[in-house]
Amino acid sequence: MIETLLNFLNQEEVLQVIIVIGSMILFFIGLFGILTQRHFIKIFISIEIMEIAIFIFFIGLAFQKGKTAPMLGDGITKFINMNDPIPHAMILTAIVIGMAVLALGVSMAIEYNKLTGITTIDKMNGLKN
Amino acid sequence: MSLKRTIPMTTVSGFGVSAVFILTILNILMQNMPSNIYRAGDELLKLNATDGVANSVTTVVVYFRGFDTLGEIAVLFIASLGIGLMLTNNNLNNISQENSNFMLQIGAKLLSPVIFIFGLYIMIYGHLSVGGGFQGGVIIASGILLLLISSNGFHISHKFVEIFETLAGVSYVVIGLIGLIILDSFLGNFLPYDISKMGLLLSGGIIPIIYIIVGIKVGSEMSVIVDNMLKRNIDD
Repeated sequence: MIETLLNFLNQEEVLQVIIVIGSMILFFIGLFGILTQRHFIKIFISIEIMEIAIFIFFIGLAFQKGKTAPMLGDGITKFINMNDPIPHAMILTAIVIGMAVLALGVSMAIEYNKLTGITTIDKMNGLKN
Repeated sequence: MSLKRTIPMTTVSGFGVSAVFILTILNILMQNMPSNIYRAGDELLKLNATDGVANSVTTVVVYFRGFDTLGEIAVLFIASLGIGLMLTNNNLNNISQENSNFMLQIGAKLLSPVIFIFGLYIMIYGHLSVGGGFQGGVIIASGILLLLISSNGFHISHKFVEIFETLAGVSYVVIGLIGLIILDSFLGNFLPYDISKMGLLLSGGIIPIIYIIVGIKVGSEMSVIVDNMLKRNIDD
């Protein structure tokens, strides 16, 4: 029973569908958080969840069954039959940029709270009048 | 489940429409997803064998896309600068001398050398195995965070860290310009890179040097960010 299930899950198409649907669910959890939550920090956490969904989407689809990580070592001596290295490099860039944006945004929120005492975006109507 | 506010109908319908839209795009994408699609990485993997670096992700990040990595470091520097401008307050600059937990103090003393050595290992062996400058720099910054929260009287001298940061940034650009002068391409690999030495520590020409520089820069910037955020927290 378990073996059949594992064999079913081990197919490449099934894995890719699981990764796509799972990362989309995670993405929409983050979108839902952005739309419903009003607190600064919770909105930033939701943006991070959406980013992580995109990272999982790219890295997961770069995986192909029967192929190794794109580096030499442990008896692998040639650059053949390997996974695509481009998504890994792109996501490495995206993680760093996402971290920088998150840290800058959080510091802006801290400073805004320091100046006005506001923690939710409902009360951010200083530019309205 | 109780929401903080009621969601308007337009939000729900917009949510549904965007979900249907994205699922349609995904359906189109999934139909020609399987492995017979042309992969751009195959050409890069062939090219990678001529550079003498065992980790092809490192080659893509540092060599093929080296100029983008320079821009990425610039983005990180600007974020660090903005956080420093916003969060530092000259009147309240002292870290509080409150004693932290005994376990935390002893644990920080025991663990921080191990964390630093692990970060340095990840940074220096970035062209041979998993890891690299970004990851190693973040590990070193996490070790500094552990030292800072344990409040053993440890504090970062910003001027000292800025020297490291500036030297790393300048040497990245200088190495790129030397490649431009010698080989007619920015960040050209002007040091000898012998393919038969692939897998050794001294291989790959300028690629490990650039990744170590990136690690120094990322580590110092992350340490400064962590220090700025902690200061503000304790003062309040």
